[in-house]
Formats: sequence, structure tokens, C-alpha cells
Amino acid sequence: MSTPKWVVTFQIYRKKGNADPHFDEFKLEVSPDEYVLDGIERVWAFHDRSLAFRHACHHSTCGACGMRVNGAEKLTCITLIRDVTQDGGVLRIEPMRNFPVVSDLAVDMGILYTRMEMVEHQPVNSDAKEAIQPEARPAGPVGEEEDYIRLSDCIECGLCISACPISGSSPEYLGPAVLAGAHQHGIKGNEQLLKLVDSEDGVWRCHSAFECTAVCPSFVEPGWRIMDLRKQVIGERFKRLFRGSSPKIIDTMEASK
Amino acid sequence: MNDSRYGPKTGESTWLWFTKIVTGLLVIVILIIHFIVNHFTAQNGLLTYADVVKYYQNPIVPIMEIAFLVFVVSHALIGLRGIVLDLKPTRAVIGAVNWLFSAVGVVAIVYGIWLVLTIVSRGASS
Amino acid sequence: MTGVSKTSPLSRAAKWFDPRARTISTIGFILNRITALGLSFYLFLHLIMLGQLAQGPQAYDGFLATVHSPIFVFGEVLVIAAGFIHGLNGIRIALNSFGVGARYQKATFLVLLSIAVICSLIFAVRIFTV
Repeated sequence: MSTPKWVVTFQIYRKKGNADPHFDEFKLEVSPDEYVLDGIERVWAFHDRSLAFRHACHHSTCGACGMRVNGAEKLTCITLIRDVTQDGGVLRIEPMRNFPVVSDLAVDMGILYTRMEMVEHQPVNSDAKEAIQPEARPAGPVGEEEDYIRLSDCIECGLCISACPISGSSPEYLGPAVLAGAHQHGIKGNEQLLKLVDSEDGVWRCHSAFECTAVCPSFVEPGWRIMDLRKQVIGERFKRLFRGSSPKIIDTMEASK
Repeated sequence: MNDSRYGPKTGESTWLWFTKIVTGLLVIVILIIHFIVNHFTAQNGLLTYADVVKYYQNPIVPIMEIAFLVFVVSHALIGLRGIVLDLKPTRAVIGAVNWLFSAVGVVAIVYGIWLVLTIVSRGASS
Repeated sequence: MTGVSKTSPLSRAAKWFDPRARTISTIGFILNRITALGLSFYLFLHLIMLGQLAQGPQAYDGFLATVHSPIFVFGEVLVIAAGFIHGLNGIRIALNSFGVGARYQKATFLVLLSIAVICSLIFAVRIFTV
């Protein structure tokens, strides 16, 4: 069996230090069933060892290889070349937007990680039982239901921040991943988290472009989560308006400090 | 976490946003009423000054117009402030915008009410 | 994120209106923002122009004659179209934010936009033929 070969031109964004950015072109022979990241790695391995980019796991778990492919945000390790270009076509590879470029395709995602920590995003999902349907569980001699835990869907790849038009013009906006993280953690009884998302830089800044949901490689649906957070915040504020604020929550907050 | 780059700012929280949504929906409701009232009271349109003055003699019209004015001006100014916010203004700029837009809102509403009452009084005196 | 801090407000605003490699929902965002700016401009212009009513019959009827020239009528059609687009899109955003149908926002947008286009065309035909 012979795999068909395509010739694809990789136009790769290059930027080192304070020099002006430019694009380098590399013509590669690839299989259409390889992934975009495979091509980028081959450029690094055989053409230009100075190319900087981030990657690790190759199976959409680490969230390191987010880039823009022909303008659209993609997790390059699971993006088939077949799906984004054709034989003789071009792949324009650029770093994610809305993060400072460190070098070439590598961006500094520090602020995203800081904010994910602020909203107490956990790599292991708290509603584990609900999240894994019985039929999706691995077969075999395993324990009780409580033993099933799963990883959180969000892999902190930053693609949604790169795709969001509001994050693009307003870096103060917490951003889709962070608000989705707050939603997954849950704001019930968490005064600090409620204050964080119910602010100028929180859920009210979203203007429903839903690009976050469109580019998310992990089906977190940040757009839906932001909308659901709004519903929760409005509900909470109305409850307090009519019943007065709940002193119990404030007490526990003070005690935990 | 107290670093201003990371910490949240207060200002546009639930109630301001809620006002924007509610006034937006009220604008739609009043526009629908407006079309119904116009259909029954001003079938030939309001093509002259005299038509307009006569139209304002129906008490529902000035009430409708003033309510529309208040809701649409509030909705527009809260919305415009939101657009300014998305442009990463400094604290000083957004502070100035808050004052400016509040003033514009008050002036527009007072002026509008004055205008409506003027037209109503012209009709009553003739 | 400091990567955008050096740009001017205008170039930052330009990013909102770039639909390349984006989905249909971004068209909703762009339309909403353009119609918001257009309708706000019209609102304040309209308020100022209606001041002519206070000047008495001659001033206002003269003003109406100007406004009935084709270019103003075309502007009126634009305002009506913007109103339909912004209003119907606003209903979608309000519903989504209260937890209704956020997962079906794309289909909702396409249906509401179609309604807006149809209604605008009906109004345009009526205005230009009456």
C-alpha cells in the first residue's frame, strides 16, 4: 500500500527578539494524513533548527501546540493536513494572538495560567460521576462508581483567548477559558469567585461572538458556559436583593482567610 | 492577586448589564406599540407639522415617546460605554466617559421631554 | 496580555471587524457592533433634528421637505434595517444570557438574521414605492 504524497508549502511566522517579524517558506513532501505539527517538526528537524515552537504530548492532552493555521486557531497535533489544505497548497502557520510572542511560534501564556489558578481550575473534574457515562467507562475489573474520575476538559491551550475578539482589544477581559474554568469549578458559595466573574472584566464583557466554542479542541464550550454563568450570577444577585446577602457565606470566607 | 493586571475591577456588574438588556427589550416592546398606534391613529403618516401636533393630542403618544426616549438613550449610552471598555481605556478615560455619558443622558432626556411637552401644549392652545 | 498593549485604540477596534477565518457567529458580533454605532449616531442626530418641531410649522415642514429627498430616504431604510438586525440579534443575546438556547445560538442567529433581512426588504419596498 502506498500512501499518497502531497507537496505543501509551510509559510512560518518568524520573530526573534526585537527584530521585525517575517515569514519563512519551506516546501515539504507530506502525507495528507499527517498532522500539521508533524510538518512543523520536520521543518525544525531537517531545515531550520532555530525554529521555536511548543509541543509535547501529540495527542491533544497537554495543550502546548496551539497555533494559527491559515488564520484559524488549531491544536496542530490533531489537525490533519488533509483538512486544512490541498496538494500543492499553502499552510500559513502563525503564533496565537493576544499573547506576547516569545520566539517564532512560541507565546508567553503566563497570564492565562495565573488566571486559571485564580478561578481554582482543577485538572481533575469535580463532577466526575456525572461526566463519565456508564457506557463510556473502560471494561474490566474496576471498583465502585466513586473510583471513576476524569480529567477536566479544558487543557489550557489558549486557543479560545486567541480567537476571542474582545480578548483581542481588551487584555483585562478574563477571557473564555478563565470564565469556563470558573463555571466548571462552580460559583455557588464561593464569594471570591462570584466577585471575580461578576465584574467589568468578567462575564458581562462577552459579546457573543462564540469563537471560543468554535475553536475549542476539547469541547469545553466556553461560550455556553459564559452564558450559563450569567444566568447563575443574575440568579444569585436577585436572590440577595430580595433576601438580603447571606451572612453564612461571608463568615466562611472570613474564616478561610 | 492584588496586582492590578490580574485583579477584577468593579463598575459594570450585574445591574448595569441587566439595565441594558431590560431597556433593550422595552425599546422593542414600545416600537411594536408605536407601530400599532400609528396604524390606527395616523394611517396617512405624519407628513406635516400640523399632523404631528394633532398626533400628540392622543395622550398615549407623549407617554409612549417619553418612555421610548428614556429607554433608548439609556440603552445606547450603556452600550457605547461597553464599546469604550473594550478599547482598553485607562481608569481616567473611563472615569471621564462615565461622567460625560451620564451628562449626555440627562441632557438628552430633559431636552426630549421638553420637546414633547412643547408639542403637546401647541396642540392644546390651538 | 501585554502583546496588544502597544497598539492604538483604532487598530484594536479594527480587529473586531476582521471576519477572516472566523465563523458565522462573528458576523453576528460585527453586525451588532456596527448597527449599535450607527443607531446611536442616528439617535442623537434625530433628537437634534426634531428640535425643528419647536421652531414652528414653517421650519419643520421645510425640514421635512429636505428629509424626503432620496438620499435621506435611503438613510431611513438603513436605520430600519439596522434596527431589525440589532433588535432581533439582541433578543438572541438576552435569551442566551438567561440560559435559553445558548447551544443553538448559531441556528437562532441565522433564523433571526433572515427575518431581519426579509422585514427590511418589505419596509424598503414600501418606503420607496409609497
